[in-house]
Amino acid sequence: MNTKLKVSKISKIYPGCIANDNVSLNFESGKIYALLGENGAGKSTLVKILSGVINPDKGQIFLNDKLLKLTSPKDAKNNNIGMVFQHFNLFETLSVFENLSIDSEKNNYQLRILVNNILKKYNFKIDLDVPILNLSAGQKQKVEIVRCLIRNPKVLIMDEPTSVLTEQETEDLFLSLKKFSREGILIIYITHKLKEVLSLCDEVAVMRKGKVVSISRTVDEELSSLANKMIGESLNKIKKMTSHNLSGEQILSVSRLNFNSEDPYEVNLVDINFTLNKGECLGIAGISGNGQNELFQILSGETLSNNGSIKFRSKEISKLNPKERREYLMAFSPEDRISQAAVPSLKIYENVALNNFKTSNFFEKGLFNERKIKDHSKKILSNFSVNTDNVNLKSQFLSGGNLQKLILGRELITSPELLICFNPTWGLDVGAINYIHQTLVKINEQGKSIILISTDNDELLQLSDRISVINKGKLSKIMSAEEVNPEKLGLLMGGGLVD
Amino acid sequence: MIKIERRDETSNLIYFLTPVLAIFLTLVAGAIIFYLLGFKPLEALKFFFITPISDLYGLSELLVKATPLCLIAIGLSFCFKSNNWNIGAEGQLTFGGIVGGGVALLFYNHEGFYVLPLIILAGAIGGMIFAMIPAILKIYFNTNEILVSLMLVYVSKLLLDYLVVGPWSNPEGFNFPETRQFSDTARLPILFEGLRIHAGIFIALVSVFLAWVVLFKTYLGFQIKVSGLSLKTAKYAGFKGKTMILLVFMVSGACAGLAGVGEITGPIGQLHRMISPEYGFTAIIVAFLGRLNPIGIVFASLIVALTYLGAETAQIFLQVPKYTGQVFQGMILFFLLASDFLLFFRIKFLRFKKYEY
Repeated sequence: MNTKLKVSKISKIYPGCIANDNVSLNFESGKIYALLGENGAGKSTLVKILSGVINPDKGQIFLNDKLLKLTSPKDAKNNNIGMVFQHFNLFETLSVFENLSIDSEKNNYQLRILVNNILKKYNFKIDLDVPILNLSAGQKQKVEIVRCLIRNPKVLIMDEPTSVLTEQETEDLFLSLKKFSREGILIIYITHKLKEVLSLCDEVAVMRKGKVVSISRTVDEELSSLANKMIGESLNKIKKMTSHNLSGEQILSVSRLNFNSEDPYEVNLVDINFTLNKGECLGIAGISGNGQNELFQILSGETLSNNGSIKFRSKEISKLNPKERREYLMAFSPEDRISQAAVPSLKIYENVALNNFKTSNFFEKGLFNERKIKDHSKKILSNFSVNTDNVNLKSQFLSGGNLQKLILGRELITSPELLICFNPTWGLDVGAINYIHQTLVKINEQGKSIILISTDNDELLQLSDRISVINKGKLSKIMSAEEVNPEKLGLLMGGGLVD
Repeated sequence: MIKIERRDETSNLIYFLTPVLAIFLTLVAGAIIFYLLGFKPLEALKFFFITPISDLYGLSELLVKATPLCLIAIGLSFCFKSNNWNIGAEGQLTFGGIVGGGVALLFYNHEGFYVLPLIILAGAIGGMIFAMIPAILKIYFNTNEILVSLMLVYVSKLLLDYLVVGPWSNPEGFNFPETRQFSDTARLPILFEGLRIHAGIFIALVSVFLAWVVLFKTYLGFQIKVSGLSLKTAKYAGFKGKTMILLVFMVSGACAGLAGVGEITGPIGQLHRMISPEYGFTAIIVAFLGRLNPIGIVFASLIVALTYLGAETAQIFLQVPKYTGQVFQGMILFFLLASDFLLFFRIKFLRFKKYEY
C-alpha cells in the first residue's frame, strides 16, 4: 500500500531561536528521503515533532491525507510511525527478547515467532537471549529496528544512525534500509554526512537555520553542490585582518596524537598533528561529535594522551593535569559552561577559586584566603564587564553571556600564553557574542595564541588565521583562512576530501 | 490538580529545617506504631525519649553512645561530601578495635603514660588502613566502593571473632569468647566517678573542630566540596581525583578506627564479639541527619544516640524488643530522604485547566 506523509507549514519557536520556520515537506513510500543539515539546522526538532516527542507551535501533519494529532510518542507508534534514535533506548542488562517484549502487547509465544520471522527475513543474526550489553553497536541498532518492524511501520525515521557504526555495519544497514523501502516502508534518513545521502537516498531536503532551503533528487546533486547548500553562502563575511605581527615563534606542537576510547559513544582520535605560533588563532571546524570533545579534553589535560604527543614551548606536557598545565600559562574554556566550567550552586568567588595558581596565593599554606579571592573576583567582574559586582552571588543567577564573560575573565586575567576554547559563544545573544569575539581578537593582538574549536563557521572565519576541519577524529590539512570557501569547508565537514 | 515544580534556589532555612521535620514525622509515626501495638502513644514516647535522659546517669550514657556515632559520622562526611560512598565504617571500626586491642594486649600489665596514646594511634591507623582497601580498589580497578567496603565489614567481624575465640582469648577466661581486661594504663580515664562518660568525648570534639576547619577553610575542603557538586568541574580544575579518593577514605577510616579503640579502651575495657552495636551503620544516618556539617553532626549524634537508650528503656518498661531502636533510626532516615524532596521541589495546587494544542 502506498504511504504518503505530508508536513505542512510546521513552526516551532524556542526562546531566542526559531527551530523550525514554516517547514513543508512531502514524502511518499518507495523512496528514501534524506534530511540534511548542520547542527542546529532544525532536523532534530522536526524529527521530534514527527515522533510526538514535542508539539509544534503551528502547522499540521497528514498521513495518507488524514490529519494526525501527535501529542506523545505513543500516538506516533499507534499511527505506525517508527523511530530509531541516535542514542539507543535499550535496557543493557535485559536480554534482547525482554527488551522487545517490554512495549509489545503480544504474548511471548507469538512475539517470539514474529521476531524470528523478521530476523530470518532480513537476515539479521542476533541471539534473542543474550543481554544487550554483549551486543555491538550495530547489533543494538538492529534490535531497535526490529522493535519498530514488529509494529508494521508505514514510516521509519532514522536519526543519524551511522554515528556509532563501523563501515561494514553501515553497509549492512544501507542494504536493509533499501530492502525496507522496496517493501513499501517510507524511510526518512536524517544525517549531516554528504556521502551517505548520495549513496543511499533518492531525494534530499536540505535544512538551514530552521528553514528548508532546497528539495531535490540526489541524481541531480553531487558532493560539492550539497555542501554549498548545507553551509550556505553567508560564509564570505567579514574576516579578521591577519595583519598583526606573527613572529613565527612556536608555542604548541601536537604530533602523532592518538586516542582510543573504551566508550562507544566517544570518538577515537587518529594521528593528530599541528603546530601553533605565537599570536595566532587556529580554528578547528567540524560537525559536533566528530572528536572535538575528546580533542579539547586532551589539550586541557582532563584526558592524558600518549607520551611525547603534546609540547608547549618545546616542553613535554602530555602527562600533566589541567592544573599543572595552567602553571605553564595555558587557559581553558570548555564547551559546557554551565556545569563544567563553573558549578552553578557555588558563589562567584568560589568559582573563581577553581582556577588556582601557585602565584595567585588563593590558598596560603592550604588555607582559604577569602579576601584575596574576593578582591581578585571583583577585578574580573569589572575588567570583563560582567553585569554584577556581587561576588557572593551564586553563579546560577548569571545569564549565559555574563557567565561566559566570568569564565573567560577568570581564564584570561592571568595573561595566559595560550587559550583553548570550545564553542565559546553557543546560545549567547548578539551583544555577548560580539564582546567575546572582540576579546578573542584583542588577546591575539597582544601576542597570545588561541585554539578555537567551534561548530559555528561564521565565528571561525571571523577569528581564525588558519583553519582545519575535524571529521571522525581525523584532522584535515590546515588551510589559511583566505583559501577556505564554503564548498571546501562543507566537503571536509561531510567527510569528503579536497585537493 | 497538583503540580510539582523545581525550586530555583534552596533556602538555607529549609535546608536545616527538613531534619527537624523528619524527626517530628518520626515521632508521629512512632506514636502510631505504639498505638497499634496497644500502648498509650504519648506515654510510650515518653519512655522512649524522655525517661532515658531524666537523670545524670542517663545523660552520661547519652554522651557515651553519641561519642562514637559523632566521630564516625564526621569521618563519613568527608567521603559523602566528595561522592565516595563508604558504607563500611562498621568494619573500619572493628579493625581499628582489633589493632588497638592487639597493642593493648601487647602492653598488658605495662606501666607508662605512653601506652594509651600508642593504643589510640594504633586504632586510628588500623581503621585507616582498612579503609584504604576499597579506596585503592576503586582507584586502580574501578570497583564499586559501596560493595567492597560493605563486604569488608564481615571480614573484619569474622577476624575479630576468630581472635577472641582463638589466639587472643583470655587464658583464665573459661573459654569465654573475650580477651583479658586491659590494664588501667590502657584505659581512657573516666570523667566523673560513678558515670561511664570517658575522655573519648574530647577526641570527638577535637575531630569536630578539625573537620570544620578542613571542610570550610582549606583548599582540601574546597576540593572536596567541588568534587561532590560536579566531578566534571573537579576534573577540569585539575584536582587530583585519585589522591582525594584515597585521602577521604583514610580520614573516614581513621575516625572509625578511633571510635572503635575509644569503645574498647573506654566503656568495654577488653575485646569481645560485640564491641559495637552497629555504630558504623547508624553513623551513616547521623551523617545525613547532620547534613554532612560538623556542627549538625554533633546534634544528630545526640538524637540518634537517644534512640539506642530509648530502645533499652522501652525494652524494660514496655517489653518491646530493643530492635524498636533500629525501627526509629530507619524511620528518621526514611523521613529525612522523603522531606529532602521539598528541598528541590515545591508542590503547587492548581485549579484544573484544559490544555490546548
